[in-house]
Amino acid sequence: MAENKTILRISGLTKKYGDVTALEGIDLDIREGEVTVILGPSGCGKSTLLRCMNGLEKIAQGQIEFDGRVITAEGTKWPEIRQKIGMVFQSYELFPHMTILENILLGPLKVQKRERAEAQQQAETLLDRVGLLHRKDSYPRELSGGQKQRVAIVRALCMRPQLMLFDEVTAALDPEMVREVLDVMLELAKQGMTMAIVTHEMEFARAVADRIIFIDEGKITEISTPEEFFTHPKTERAQRFLNIFHFETDDFRKEV
Amino acid sequence: MKKLKQWIAAALAGVLALGVLTGCGQSGGSSSGSLESIKERGTIRIGVFSDKPPFGYIDSNGENQGYDVYLAKRLAKDLLGDESKVEFVLVEAASRVEYLQSNKVDLLLANFTVTKERAEQVDFANPYMKVALGIVLKDGGITSVDQLKGKTLAVNKGTTAETYFTENYPDINLLKFDQNTETFQALKDGRADALAHDNTLLFAWANENDGFEVGVSSLGSHDTIAPAVKKGNDELRSWVNDELAKLGEEKFMHKNYQETLLPYYGDDIDPEDVVVEGGALE
Amino acid sequence: MQSSGIQVLFEGANLSRLLGGLWVTLQIALISIAISAVLGVLFGIVMTSKSRVVRAVCRIYLEAVRIIPILVWLFIFYFGVTKALNIHLSGMFVSVLVFSLWGTAEMGDIVRGAVQSLPLHQREAGRAIGLTELQVYRYIIIPQAVRRLLPAAINLATRMIKTTSLVVIIGVVEVVKVGQQIIESNILNFPTASLWVYGLIFLLYFIICYPISLFSKRLETRWQS
Repeated sequence: MAENKTILRISGLTKKYGDVTALEGIDLDIREGEVTVILGPSGCGKSTLLRCMNGLEKIAQGQIEFDGRVITAEGTKWPEIRQKIGMVFQSYELFPHMTILENILLGPLKVQKRERAEAQQQAETLLDRVGLLHRKDSYPRELSGGQKQRVAIVRALCMRPQLMLFDEVTAALDPEMVREVLDVMLELAKQGMTMAIVTHEMEFARAVADRIIFIDEGKITEISTPEEFFTHPKTERAQRFLNIFHFETDDFRKEV
Repeated sequence: MKKLKQWIAAALAGVLALGVLTGCGQSGGSSSGSLESIKERGTIRIGVFSDKPPFGYIDSNGENQGYDVYLAKRLAKDLLGDESKVEFVLVEAASRVEYLQSNKVDLLLANFTVTKERAEQVDFANPYMKVALGIVLKDGGITSVDQLKGKTLAVNKGTTAETYFTENYPDINLLKFDQNTETFQALKDGRADALAHDNTLLFAWANENDGFEVGVSSLGSHDTIAPAVKKGNDELRSWVNDELAKLGEEKFMHKNYQETLLPYYGDDIDPEDVVVEGGALE
Repeated sequence: MQSSGIQVLFEGANLSRLLGGLWVTLQIALISIAISAVLGVLFGIVMTSKSRVVRAVCRIYLEAVRIIPILVWLFIFYFGVTKALNIHLSGMFVSVLVFSLWGTAEMGDIVRGAVQSLPLHQREAGRAIGLTELQVYRYIIIPQAVRRLLPAAINLATRMIKTTSLVVIIGVVEVVKVGQQIIESNILNFPTASLWVYGLIFLLYFIICYPISLFSKRLETRWQS
């Protein structure tokens, strides 16, 4: 991976909510074609970090460079940047008053001003790939959670982003629907999409990640390969974090 | 985001300001009701009622009619040479004073009873009509107030009738109502033996309702009804007074009575109970 | 000459006078509603501002319009402003102005409520695909807000139509006042005139307001399906 160029560089990032420091001194490079999974206990700031990457949160200090440009300076045209950084949310956030196709085409047509025929063809190809082409004229409320989340991924992809951010995209799903979404993400990773993922699905993280970032109390405490992280975490905090998941699993087994 | 909202706020303020300016553009109301400005304009603006027959109302053809209107037309004729030179402004009782104060009318002929309180807000000319309390009841009953002792009299709450009978005739039982319709209903269905109200109203009512008559046509002190001008407009006020005096010589108000009030009151009523001629009470 | 009251409607120019009054009512109501709809959306968006000062100013405007009765506003603008600035504002103009001020305030509050009831994430999702703030409002916030506020907005519109009868206080003769004039001037020859005149006015209001509520129902069902 080392030879790949850095697409996003975060240096010295600090984020505050009032007096509360959410993130402190974050340095992180995301390289092209790499899948970075961000782990950490609830409230550690991992979602906040993701949201800083496309300007949904203002940062207090530090800077972010995207594709060689500093994007945290005053006067940054975020709408332009965001076309290149796709984001998928925990709660899908499809636009309920639009059909699936309209949801997907809104950005390409209104933001990128692309030709309808061309954009629609891409949208349909992508929909087909996630197995939802037949639902293109449906409204979001007619779809299951898993289907909605797959559409949300397509909506982001149709902008032809250079980087995709996934913010706990399976957390709101019923267990049987988690898989269909994760499969889509795995497929994307295989195709070489650059991705930053916040998740609680440990098995998935291990399978998909090129690198694991562990955040605790607003600081990155560990960056390692999935193999290393899941077998020999460097910090005691990460060990405890992993234990919790094991413990939960054990607990669950006893009940059955 | 912030910019967008600032922009919208500015636009809103702009639209409002524009609206007010456009309104200003329609300016044209003269600032005074002086004789000169009325003549310059060529019309006199007179405030009248549009739904108070027989004084000021609009007939089925959309024309202003009534005792007040009849006088208004004559004033226009004598001032500007033609009775069509009057612009009738339809006023409401609740806002008629404001029309004068804000220069929207030159003169008010809206059955305006002269009171001390009102005289502080407007200037009254001499009266052209008078009103007193009257008593209406079933035919052939009573001809003097003393005969009502021990009987029930319907009145409206808060009117001169209520005050007058409470002070002067404590032996008469009063039945009090808020609305005219309730008061008259009480008389009709026998809950009250008689009803006291402005005689000008009773004359018309008795004329319409068979079996009832105005037993006592004039009682208590007279109130007068007079034209009103804006406070301080002495010029127009004295012109109106001179005019009323002049009209008195030709018994104009009696002619007015014949034309406008008689059809409502019938022949039984003495015009002298209502009409004030020449601007002066006898 | 006491005859059937319905004749009063066809006496002289009465019917055309009533329809003329209705036209006055409609003009005031429709112009004010149109202005309120546009300015109300903008005002509603301004009301969601992050700035406390802007919000406070909006609140003061809204509360002032709500607390002070429409009748008083008509008085203030028709007589008060005239007296203070020595300008003449026509009754029609003041009516439209006051009803627009009222409608904008109420519509704004309705829009604010609808906009704030939308999940914050809808905006973020719009931003995340690169929409500008203006586009977020145009394509995401307003279309959804409009669907939510429709019942309340229709209610406001019909309330505005009915409240127009107040403008008579500043000399604007609309349908209800024409009705009163006809009733009062015919009290001798048509004692039951009020029944027929008010019956017709009821019918006229119904003819105006019913299509509006029908239209809103159709929209609602269309958006639901």
